[in-house]
Amino acid sequence: MATRVKKVTKAHKPGKRAQSKQAIRDRIVKAALTLFQTKGFDTTTTKAIARKAGIAEGTVFNYFRTKEDIALFFFEEEVDHAIAAVRDNSRLRKAPLEEKLFTLIHSQLEFLAPYERFIGAALLHALNPASHLGAFSHRAQQLRHRYLAFVAELIEDSSPKSKKDSLSWLVPEAFWIYYLGVLLFWLYDTSKDKQHTLAFLDRSLNVGVSFLRAGRR
Amino acid sequence: MASMGANVAGSYLGFVLQSAFAGKDKRQQKLKTTHSRVARKVRDELLSLRGPAMKLGQTLSLQTGILPEETLNELATLQMQAPGMHPSLVRVQVKTALGKPPEEIFETFSPEPFAAASLGQVHTATIRGGKRVAVKIQYPGIRETIENDFKWFRAISKPAQASGHIPKEAIDEMEQQIIAETDYEQEADNIDFFRKTLSKLSFVEVPSVFREYSSDKVLTMSFVRGGHLGQFLASRPSQKVRNQLGTNLFDLYYFQLLKLGAFHADPHWGNYLFNDDCTIGLVDFGCAKKLSATSLRYLKGVYLYPGSRHSAEFRRLLEANYENQGKKLPRAAYRALVDFSEEYRKVYPPEKDKQFVFDFSEKAFLTNYIRHATNLFRTKHVMTDYIFMARAEMGLYNTLHALKARVPTSDIVRKYL
Repeated sequence: MATRVKKVTKAHKPGKRAQSKQAIRDRIVKAALTLFQTKGFDTTTTKAIARKAGIAEGTVFNYFRTKEDIALFFFEEEVDHAIAAVRDNSRLRKAPLEEKLFTLIHSQLEFLAPYERFIGAALLHALNPASHLGAFSHRAQQLRHRYLAFVAELIEDSSPKSKKDSLSWLVPEAFWIYYLGVLLFWLYDTSKDKQHTLAFLDRSLNVGVSFLRAGRR
Repeated sequence: MASMGANVAGSYLGFVLQSAFAGKDKRQQKLKTTHSRVARKVRDELLSLRGPAMKLGQTLSLQTGILPEETLNELATLQMQAPGMHPSLVRVQVKTALGKPPEEIFETFSPEPFAAASLGQVHTATIRGGKRVAVKIQYPGIRETIENDFKWFRAISKPAQASGHIPKEAIDEMEQQIIAETDYEQEADNIDFFRKTLSKLSFVEVPSVFREYSSDKVLTMSFVRGGHLGQFLASRPSQKVRNQLGTNLFDLYYFQLLKLGAFHADPHWGNYLFNDDCTIGLVDFGCAKKLSATSLRYLKGVYLYPGSRHSAEFRRLLEANYENQGKKLPRAAYRALVDFSEEYRKVYPPEKDKQFVFDFSEKAFLTNYIRHATNLFRTKHVMTDYIFMARAEMGLYNTLHALKARVPTSDIVRKYL
């Protein structure tokens, strides 16, 4: 099981030991992702990852049990990155919901962009109930909950508290399906600079949020 | 779009039902409110669609005389406003086009747009040295939206195409021109061309392009001063100023058409900026139309034609123009063209008369112009070049009408023949 080092904050600087641990882990993740992208997820072995990262195979196991764990770690970073992109942007605090959600999803896509080929393969893996990477694994579920809790928080912030209804729980669930749809759209988007995805994201969020507002009026 | 159709039909249906029980005066009043309500709905729908549908609205808004006044008032607002891209999307578009986000490229960048174009929006910014610029940023995926809208338009206009009322070439021409407007590199070339050639006219200001801050989807230009027609008229300019401005506007059009053989073919009011010192700022050069040498020769032949328009010589001029484009002049088109140019004669009398000015405040001219143009289009044999000229002319005449300007029309045209 991967060990996650606490986020670096100004108040709490990690020691030298932790820093070098983090550097090695980053090297493993980078090597693995490059191989997932170029050689394919299924054909990549931990041995190859170790060779690419320039460390012993045993060292890889100190950090990650399987290559699926490496992939999952990458997705956790992706979600952290996207949440931070919305949270740390002070201008967004007063922005409409559709813009916050746009920034969230776009930051995710931007993060995933260098590894597009691998993302396509990972999506297929996610359908396998036995896979660690799968949508049904405990860790993947946790990640999804964390992501959707943030989405729910954004939605709650933007709508009057008194207007909550019994179907409020459904909105983040619907958002998850929507997000997967966007991801698929993005993967198959062959337009220059993925302009179609941007247009689709912009327009569908406008429509979606206006439905949400109409429902809560 | 379908929902818009249903909404609009619903409104008019409601009017018919209500008016059956109302008196004549009340009926008039109700019709006015219905027009406004429908216009607002149409405008809102067109706004939300952006792109070519909005362009269509802008074109319609120039058609004084065909649409009810209330509808025009609503459509006129289309010319300057559209639901914009939010700052986050703007940031992504700039980063994609120029490689860096706006805050790293410009010294200052206003995240809110100050103007909307049909295919993009315009932001103010400053570049190094503190120079103030206008940055036009394209909506994502707009080219595909245009292609899709035209597919839709081709489908619904099949009957009109079959009957020849909307020629296929006309739709092709429209689509090509609007698609061309999405290429900001082409637009930058147009600006350079007009900046150079229009420098001969001291009363015209054309922006300059900053290529290092531009791409095919982002266009950075120097700021052009002036107010839109509505703002300008609100300051209650004197008749003298309006006459001079109208004269300059007219001069600008004919200089382009007859001297350059190329013109700014998107004459909606949002693209002209007016100043109290009678100077004119031009913005938005996406739609520039170049005429062929033969078309230009033909125009020079028919403008201010001195003889009778029913003469054999005039007929030969018209026929030659059709032959040059591989077509035969049909009887109906010939008649419509003669009627049309007879109408023109009133505005552009060929006789030399230094005192002659045409008063564009009279509405009869506009309605007659539209009637004759419509008749001409109905003959189904209009040259494609003329579609854009008609659009530019309608824009010019409408602006002159709004200015209530008196213009020495023939004198100006004569300068460039």
